Amino acid sequence: MTDKDALDALPGELLMWILIVSEVLVFGAGLTVFLSVRITDPDGFAEAQDMLDRTAAGINTIVLITSGFLAALANALRQGGARTKARFCLVAAALLGVVFLWIKGAEFASKAASGIVWDTHVLFNFYFMLTGFHAAHVAAGVVLLLLVAWRDHVDNIEDATAFWHMVDLIWVLLFPVIYLLQ
Amino acid sequence: MTHRSLYIAWALLVALSFGSTALSASGIWAQWPGVAGVAVMALAWQKARIILADYMGLQRAPRWRRGFDVCLTGLCLLMLALYAAPLVL
Repeated sequence: MTDKDALDALPGELLMWILIVSEVLVFGAGLTVFLSVRITDPDGFAEAQDMLDRTAAGINTIVLITSGFLAALANALRQGGARTKARFCLVAAALLGVVFLWIKGAEFASKAASGIVWDTHVLFNFYFMLTGFHAAHVAAGVVLLLLVAWRDHVDNIEDATAFWHMVDLIWVLLFPVIYLLQ
Repeated sequence: MTHRSLYIAWALLVALSFGSTALSASGIWAQWPGVAGVAVMALAWQKARIILADYMGLQRAPRWRRGFDVCLTGLCLLMLALYAAPLVL
């Protein structure tokens, strides 16, 4: 297999994969630093972590993976020529992205109402930074999904849904590390 | 990518997510935090692999899939080691 064949085997645009790998590395580094800092104060981290809303984060996981499913289905439908169904799936995926952001917003608002801010404990520093940065990617992804539902070229949909799956991929790594590992 | 395989991938992801959430609510963390940590990270690793293979289409590019699997496994093992450090130190 030549280098060109190897690159051709990769689904979608190479540039999108470079972006995906870069983003996973950035979040991976953030989570690695989070766990490294946790070594210095595991009890304090456990106490702070108990103030996080694991149920809301669990619901958001289901919301995001369902949205990812709809995006993947839209991609398959568009490649099969079913444009209307693909558009419907893309809009539904974007709406679930909005649901994710609404739940995340409610989570942040609840923390603020309880007087929990970024410097309450170092865990919240990472929590607000990493989940906030991830939420910004979700917002960007929602816009992308709606854009490609409108301009529904096969390549556009493939790239936008790859971005959306990256957001999904990051969340399934971020969720257990920030919320679950006690 | 067939629609059927996407439905299966989604159902597996939902089941694994419920597994993670159920573990977080169980009393296992107080008794065996190491075991619970390994289980939670294993579930996350498997979810990430499904997203890469089925949602992102790497199933059609086995060499790339193996490469991503190696990197993902390395990252998950690193995070697991950092989680376990306070338990063994």
